[in-house]
Amino acid sequence: MKGLDPEGPLNENLRRIVAVRGAELRGLGSAVLDPGDVHALHDTRIAAKRLRYVLELGEPVLGPNAADGAKRARHIQHVLGELHDCDETLPRIARVLERLRGEDATAIRAGLAPNASDVDPESLRRARHRRKYAGLESLAAYTRARRDVLYAEFLRIWTDLEQSGTLEWLGAGAG
Amino acid sequence: MARARPVPGFADSGSFCEAAARAVRIRVEEVFERAEGVLDIEDIERVHDMRVATRRLRAAMEIFAPCFAKKQRRALLNEVKALADALGARRDADVAIVALERVGDAMPAADLPGVEHLVSELRDEQQQANDELAQALDRIEAGGLHERLLALTVERAPEPAVTM
Repeated sequence: MKGLDPEGPLNENLRRIVAVRGAELRGLGSAVLDPGDVHALHDTRIAAKRLRYVLELGEPVLGPNAADGAKRARHIQHVLGELHDCDETLPRIARVLERLRGEDATAIRAGLAPNASDVDPESLRRARHRRKYAGLESLAAYTRARRDVLYAEFLRIWTDLEQSGTLEWLGAGAG
Repeated sequence: MARARPVPGFADSGSFCEAAARAVRIRVEEVFERAEGVLDIEDIERVHDMRVATRRLRAAMEIFAPCFAKKQRRALLNEVKALADALGARRDADVAIVALERVGDAMPAADLPGVEHLVSELRDEQQQANDELAQALDRIEAGGLHERLLALTVERAPEPAVTM
């Protein structure tokens, strides 16, 4: 970060850092309107985290607005963290389902005669994972719904942040 | 999650770098105070608290970057990051297991085998992450990371350049 003065006053240096961190978060404003832009949401979470920690540290110098800003940043970080967990869980479930299906198909084929012309439905008894699919599919549906709800919650928090004047306060160097 | 400890005298610091030494010293102590019991997978809040403490330390080292010798700071930051990564891998598994068990509690019995399969996989990952965390803790102990981080706050050397 440019423009810091190591031997200068704490107050002025902190305000400069807060202004830069605030600008980073504000700069992501339009990108976060795409619920599928996983990278933008990740960048927003990181920007909120960086802002949160400088505000938490600087609160004794920057005053109560810093505490409010840190609280808002922490909320964004939390909701986007939960949303990120959904983005990790969904492909994980898909990978597990694919692997289990493959293992079951292999087990069914392994029980057939070498010259079998078709597969008897009774062979399903050899599919040892067959009772797992319903739960995994339900979990995927739940996780997808949860992601949608968390994104809507994030938009509410973001809109509230924009309307609160916090971004302007940050942009003005917390002054 | 444990709240950050206040930094005594922070607001009264005569300069940015005086505040840096105070803040980083407290954040270093917070990390190592939270190491006890961190390998206990029955009490997942301990690993969470230590992870948050490493985040706060990294943040302080980044905020006050111009106050420390660049090479020394970067090397130490890399070691703190390695510890944070090990804590993060354990935490990810902890959180996923708790979330899945919560969902499982609300599911009909017929749906449970799928969720239990996933939890079982995650428990293996949790154990592996815990083993790796144990190794990471041994490394920082053997390498004297705690003492070297504290020394950074004593031997701080502001550079003429004001970039980080």
